[in-house]
Amino acid sequence: MIEQFSNFRTSLKSLRSFRSLSPLARKELKQGITFLSPWILGFLLFTLIPIFATLFFTFINLKITDGIASTPKWVGLDNYKYLWNDNQAGVNPSTWFQGGTPGSLWVTMAFGIIALPVGIFLPLGIALLMNNKHLKAPNLFRSLFYMPYIVPFVAAVFLWGGMLNSQTGWINRFLVEILHVSRDSVPMWANSGAEEWGWIYATYVLMGVWGIGNAMLIMLAGLQGVPTELYDAAKVDGANAWQTFWKVTFPMISPVIFYNLTLSIVGLFQYFLVPLVVNQGTGRPGGFTMFYNLYLYRNFFLFQNMSYGATLAWVLFAIILVVTIFLFWSAKYWVYYASETRS
Amino acid sequence: MKKLLSVLSLLIVATMILAACGAPAPTEAPDVPATDAPEPTDAPATDAPAGDKVQIRWFVGLGTGTDPAQLPSQEKAVADFNASQDEIELVLEVVPFDSARDTLATQIASGAGPDIIGPVGWGGSNAFYGQWLDMTPYIESTGFDTSIYDPALIEFYQTEEGQVGLPYLVFPAAIYYVPAMFDEAGLEYPPTAYGDKYTLDGAEVDWTWETLTEVAKRLTVDVNGANATEDGFDATQLQQVGFANQWQTHVAYQASYVAGAADIVSGDEGSYESAMPDSWKEANKWVYDGMWGEQPFMATGPLAGAPEFGNGNLFNSGKAAMAMTPLWYTCCLDQFRDAGFEFQAGVLPVGADGEYHGRVDADTIRLWKGSANPEEAFKALSYLIGPEGVQTLVVGTEEVPAAYSGLPANPEFQQPYIDALLKRYPFTTAETWDVFKAGLTYPDNPSAEQWQPNWNESWARQQTFFDLLQNTPPDQLDFDAEWQKMVDDLNDIYAK
Repeated sequence: MIEQFSNFRTSLKSLRSFRSLSPLARKELKQGITFLSPWILGFLLFTLIPIFATLFFTFINLKITDGIASTPKWVGLDNYKYLWNDNQAGVNPSTWFQGGTPGSLWVTMAFGIIALPVGIFLPLGIALLMNNKHLKAPNLFRSLFYMPYIVPFVAAVFLWGGMLNSQTGWINRFLVEILHVSRDSVPMWANSGAEEWGWIYATYVLMGVWGIGNAMLIMLAGLQGVPTELYDAAKVDGANAWQTFWKVTFPMISPVIFYNLTLSIVGLFQYFLVPLVVNQGTGRPGGFTMFYNLYLYRNFFLFQNMSYGATLAWVLFAIILVVTIFLFWSAKYWVYYASETRS
Repeated sequence: MKKLLSVLSLLIVATMILAACGAPAPTEAPDVPATDAPEPTDAPATDAPAGDKVQIRWFVGLGTGTDPAQLPSQEKAVADFNASQDEIELVLEVVPFDSARDTLATQIASGAGPDIIGPVGWGGSNAFYGQWLDMTPYIESTGFDTSIYDPALIEFYQTEEGQVGLPYLVFPAAIYYVPAMFDEAGLEYPPTAYGDKYTLDGAEVDWTWETLTEVAKRLTVDVNGANATEDGFDATQLQQVGFANQWQTHVAYQASYVAGAADIVSGDEGSYESAMPDSWKEANKWVYDGMWGEQPFMATGPLAGAPEFGNGNLFNSGKAAMAMTPLWYTCCLDQFRDAGFEFQAGVLPVGADGEYHGRVDADTIRLWKGSANPEEAFKALSYLIGPEGVQTLVVGTEEVPAAYSGLPANPEFQQPYIDALLKRYPFTTAETWDVFKAGLTYPDNPSAEQWQPNWNESWARQQTFFDLLQNTPPDQLDFDAEWQKMVDDLNDIYAK
């Protein structure tokens, strides 16, 4: 980060000294900008301007279905006020479980509490196994664990949906017919009722485990980057396996864990596909699968309420920004950069 | 540096200009009251007409008609019309379905809406409530012959906006059934004429929902071969269900079939309230009990979604003895046919009030209220839904196959469509297709897909309730409380 900022400052200095450039260098710079201009135009037209357009939408009452018959009006912060009091969105914690719904932000965070540890520590655990020198045919196992990641996620979700079908899925059949679990006792998985919402989240986590191959590979790369001298030194010092992991391995791969954690949290707030496919995006049961991003999608694309959808999106952006800033702030306490120098 | 800044400034300004040209800013949209269309302009919104001809734009995209294979037929209809007279030039505009709503909304908002829009069903039309032209004066002034249609279908398109459509493609509902399953269970087939009795256990009884329920239970079979009425029946291991509400999984669909059509919104703008009658609640309770009761005869959500049961296309999987659904379902029975199954159709049961409550899905072509040339637009519309248009667009020829598949509301053209279905499903009888034709007399009026305030959200809320019914067993669901919650939510949505 610091290095990038330093580069940026250097670039600015270069721009200031444009006049001092040689004619050849100035010509090259102009040519460079000319060649970059299609990208700049595209970025402005299709990214930057739409981004700010959505910000503008949050201050008007643009609704496609109304928009055809009436002019959108400037509503100031009304959309944000509505969002603050919206039980279903759940941005205001005091609205959680009011109006019979847990609130989408609550749903997202509750699921995160279950899913994040699994999403971080399971790939780490598997990576540690993959990195074990006693493992036979490590490449085969790495490939096998990575392979599911290649399968399109929607296909995987359908596949898991069939396996976990409460009435015909083979997992419940196995429980009933092989393990002789009472048919009334087997979990309903994603079809569980509101009182058993934990089973639904467990089902989603199980489906998510299918795709941990990529995280595992990143963790494995981190593990393989730890200098072996450190392990040798720890061994000489008499460290046991746990101490070696906690005092050597973990600090050395903490940047990789930090990277995975950041991506996972951002991904969590954007969680969308699984509840859309498995529970038809209805929020069933009782709003316990109405994730924030799904609620956003419904408002934007299903209800065609552009202004409220945009408001939800900008608030989501703000939430992710705050959480990410917090993560970066916390990094100084637990992430170890061997090459970092602090001024 | 100055030059560099100038170049950058120019780029940004050029970008702004391009962006401004791309789409009108929302605040520049015409200031018209809700449900009123923008004032017609003196001239058509698009390019000047060729020569002295008035240009009429036909927008296709809200429903069927956007597939490339459908284009030749639509283009032929346009070409034939344009060649037939010298006053109007019909222009076809096909917009991909996914972006059609947004495109149309933008066009209308900017006062540049098309003159003719369709084919479009009720659902697609409701997204543009208040924008449809009342055709009554044009029907009267041109002497358009409406007598060829079933009067119920003319009335079907009479809403508070007026006569917003004319019958075009219709999809009446019926009970599809598998004769072999009835034979195996020793049951008579469902009646094939409205008013006919059903023979159950040797006695003639009315073909009511109670009768259908009893028949469906006897056709629901578990892994041990026991039906739902027999001792030892295992409701957790069904091999076959007696009845399926095939892709009719919505509060309004079920209620329209079982309890009958109803106005479900009361009050005026600003004070709209849900007015779903108790009979609608009872109708949905009947469905719920059919899925989760002690003697189930319908598939629950998990079962209907299982691969063994067709991933939702239940009747097609050959695991349902009866399916209630409109005629368009003939689209999706090829696997069923190829697996060696055969189906026929019977009439819908009579309601508890002694009346038949059918359902008719329908596509029509509408006119935009803001059209600058409504007379010419109606003239072009008359051609498209008239004999020549139907011949080209629905019947088709060897060289240019039909664009649309549906039962023409004009009886003159129904037989070619039926002939095509007979060719596709050779085991079906003429009697089966007569059942569908007879169903035209019982449209759900107002439509199950009738307008509600904030239609998209209201419709989705009702869908959510039905989804809950399909997927939640009785020990985890308080039906009455959930119904009331849906009604409360609808009132909130209506008030938005």
